[in-house]
Amino acid sequence: MDEDSPSAKLPPASTDELPFETALTRLEGIVQSLEKGDLELEAALAAFEQGIALSRHCATQLERAERRIEVLVREGAGFAVRPFAGPEDAD
Amino acid sequence: MTDFLPRTLPERRIFTITELVAGLRVLLEESMGRLWVAGEVSNLRRASSGHLYFSLKDDAAQLRAVLFRSDARRMPFELEDGLEVIAFGECSVYEARGDLQLLVRHVEPRGRGALQLAFEQLRGRLEREGLFDPSRKRRLPAFPRRVGLVTSISGAALRDVIEVSGRCFPATPLLLAPTRVQGDGAEHEIAAALSALASLPEEVDVILLVRGGGSLEDLQPFNTEVVARAVAGCPVPVVSGVGHETDLSIADLVADVRAPTPSAAAALVLPDRAVLRDRCARNLVRLCSAAERVLERTRARLGQRREALARVAPLARLAAQQARFDALRGALARNTRRRTERARSQLATLAGRLHALSPLAVLARGYAIVWKAKVGTIVRRAEECAPGDQLRVRLGEGELAATVQDGPEPSSVAAGVESA
Repeated sequence: MDEDSPSAKLPPASTDELPFETALTRLEGIVQSLEKGDLELEAALAAFEQGIALSRHCATQLERAERRIEVLVREGAGFAVRPFAGPEDAD
Repeated sequence: MTDFLPRTLPERRIFTITELVAGLRVLLEESMGRLWVAGEVSNLRRASSGHLYFSLKDDAAQLRAVLFRSDARRMPFELEDGLEVIAFGECSVYEARGDLQLLVRHVEPRGRGALQLAFEQLRGRLEREGLFDPSRKRRLPAFPRRVGLVTSISGAALRDVIEVSGRCFPATPLLLAPTRVQGDGAEHEIAAALSALASLPEEVDVILLVRGGGSLEDLQPFNTEVVARAVAGCPVPVVSGVGHETDLSIADLVADVRAPTPSAAAALVLPDRAVLRDRCARNLVRLCSAAERVLERTRARLGQRREALARVAPLARLAAQQARFDALRGALARNTRRRTERARSQLATLAGRLHALSPLAVLARGYAIVWKAKVGTIVRRAEECAPGDQLRVRLGEGELAATVQDGPEPSSVAAGVESA
């Protein structure tokens, strides 16, 4: 793959740990470079594959439903972060 | 009470100034007591002691007044020259100087609430300082990694924010720094909560400062200089959502973004899953379309090349040339045959003519050719020969050798014939 092609600039697609924002930005970058139309067939197919992986990753992230609410409590001279059960968790 | 009025000329009671002034004071305090008075503040002076000395006046009269520091501290607003106020206090005389004065215990602005006035005064002051400048407002992160919350642990605002977060983007962590949101001293707790959130190692990208609706008194902590400075000095962007849409607080003015309600504040800060789902779907569609187009383009290019190749067509050219070659060869062959036949017939004709002219044909009619054997010359006249000359005779068929016997006779020769 040509060193200068856009998809060569992206690190190998280990998308598992990517934060959502990064994955989405990369996906949109790939779409744009594919649409521009100056990728050779081989590079285009590689970009497409990576785009698909990123798209799946984004979809998974979006469907995450677990909440994480924490509360700051005084601990000694400073603070600590504790899980928060709900508004009943009054001090 | 001392009777100041002289009744009889000879009995004169001479008072000291102290007695007189003291008497006046008692007279005043007992007859007037405490009362409410309306007037305009003027000649305001704050002593180093913290006591406030001023005058209250109207069109025709004025009265000196004093507001002691302890009472002044309880006031949310500041006294200023020109302010129309209603004061509650007692009339007295400052004996040492013989000054009439009003000891003010409580004062409120006339025509406006004290809190309203305090709000306007603080707003003006902070605005002049530049705390509300649009250039100070920071942009909010599009995808906050963690959202800080400064609000009451038991209030509706917290429930609203949690609910909106669940709808928009439940995966974003929320960190609550609980605080009182009304009552005396709440402003210090609010400021402390803001500062605590901003200093944590667990980074907070943005802070929501929210509380539900309430009266102006209830919202007062959000209209204090303490909270204003805490918000202005916060290293993390602050989104305020205090009270209802119509409640504008100082905190709202200083914050990086003002939301009309706590729910709106949460919605502003959190990405919307539904919108993002759409965006991802659209990207997927575009990705596939673009890939298809790449394939199409490649296919088309291949097709073009095939056609171009076909036009150049070496095989076809070869076949065409082969055909031409065959045609030419055929033509050549036909041509050659014709010529050969023509030549043959010409030859035959000539051969015929030649044959007719040929001496051999003459010979066949009975004539003979005679020549001298040794010399080889043809004999035409008898005189050429002498007896004994060897002659050869060519007949129509065969040859003879002959010897001349008799001398030449002009027209006949008798020759002995020896077959050749």
